[in-house]
Amino acid sequence: MTPPSPTRATEAPAEQVDGGARSGTGTFATRMFGIATLVTMGWLVAFGLGFSPADRDQEEAVRIMYVHVPTVWLAYLAFTVTAACSGLYLFTKKHSLGFDRFAGASAEIGVVFMALSLATGMLWGKLTWGVYWQWDARLTTTALLFVSYVGYLAVRGLGGSHDQRAKRSAIIGLLAVLEIPLVHWSVRLWRSLHQEATVLNTNGDVDMDGLMLFSLFVGVVAFTLLYVWLLLHRSRVMAMEDQLDDQGLDRAIDARRAEATS
Amino acid sequence: MTDLSPRTGPETPSPAAGTKRKWLPMIVIAGVLVAGGVIVTQFLRSAVDYYCNVDEVGTRSGCDVNRRLRVQGVVQRGTVRSAGSDTDFVIAFNGAEMAVSYDGEPGGIFKECIPVVVHGHFDTASDTFLGDRVEVKHSDEYVAVNDERLAESDALADACETGTP
Repeated sequence: MTPPSPTRATEAPAEQVDGGARSGTGTFATRMFGIATLVTMGWLVAFGLGFSPADRDQEEAVRIMYVHVPTVWLAYLAFTVTAACSGLYLFTKKHSLGFDRFAGASAEIGVVFMALSLATGMLWGKLTWGVYWQWDARLTTTALLFVSYVGYLAVRGLGGSHDQRAKRSAIIGLLAVLEIPLVHWSVRLWRSLHQEATVLNTNGDVDMDGLMLFSLFVGVVAFTLLYVWLLLHRSRVMAMEDQLDDQGLDRAIDARRAEATS
Repeated sequence: MTDLSPRTGPETPSPAAGTKRKWLPMIVIAGVLVAGGVIVTQFLRSAVDYYCNVDEVGTRSGCDVNRRLRVQGVVQRGTVRSAGSDTDFVIAFNGAEMAVSYDGEPGGIFKECIPVVVHGHFDTASDTFLGDRVEVKHSDEYVAVNDERLAESDALADACETGTP
């Protein structure tokens, strides 16, 4: 009688790893998302650098906003998806590793977007404030959020079984997301060098030129599509990595079993 | 993960590749904890109360004139003058004014009628705030450069007169 494998089978189809019908991570859906991302990124370049006007005070530096703001919003979204998938992993009966992989992939993309937002924010700060960085409430809480998710990714890399990885990272994913409201409201709670929100504010007034607002909207759409495209590919790559890991373990057990019987 | 690779002999040491791989995330976690500690320390020390307004200097707790301060106010119209390597100007907030002498040329989008945060200390002898760093605050308004309307200019002028950013 063959004993059951000690590792839980991952949900990825075998042909993804073994070179079957589908050897990559691309599907019709991801290709459509990829094309849509490229098209909207082209629009973003056209509107961000061409059609939208310069600002009365910031002049050309305002164009940094079309990358800075969408990347930070998408980082918030990515970390929220991480928390939601972490909750689904922890609190559903199946404890599906698919949720864990979505959580991890989303956090990775969120960290990249957050790094991009910090870098563009520093450039904008130098041009507008006159300094790259200052430890005010918004910048400090944002740095803390960024470091927290770098820590989340490090914890995912600690090793152990897939379930161990999923459980410990899910707990961190659920806790770290609580920092997002603190980051967003820091400019209202405390005196900050960073200005208050222009769009996602409580009074509903958007003090922004129409074409600037539209360019910002294009940026949000473009980066959202990029996020979805990256999330689908990265989560599938993670499924393949998990499956390879499981296969390696199974092979090691088989070899040890053969060694014992020989 | 437990090493389950086949043994090749009793004297062969177990491969340490898995152990080595775990060091990187542990180093990253240690770095994250240190960075988090530094950020929280900085946060507690300076971020919560980032600046004092001009009218609060000498009256509000933490805004004492005998300590290093960050003072926020609106640069008053017609007060910006270059004196050698220094830049002199007056900032105001809630009707209170303060003369500033900044050691250098302010960067960013520094100009009249814009709110700034000046780092430095108050010199009681000359009744002047001696600044060594100027940060320009930007409002949450985004106005096209060729779409300035008279009403906005008037509003800006009013804000400059009252010292309200």
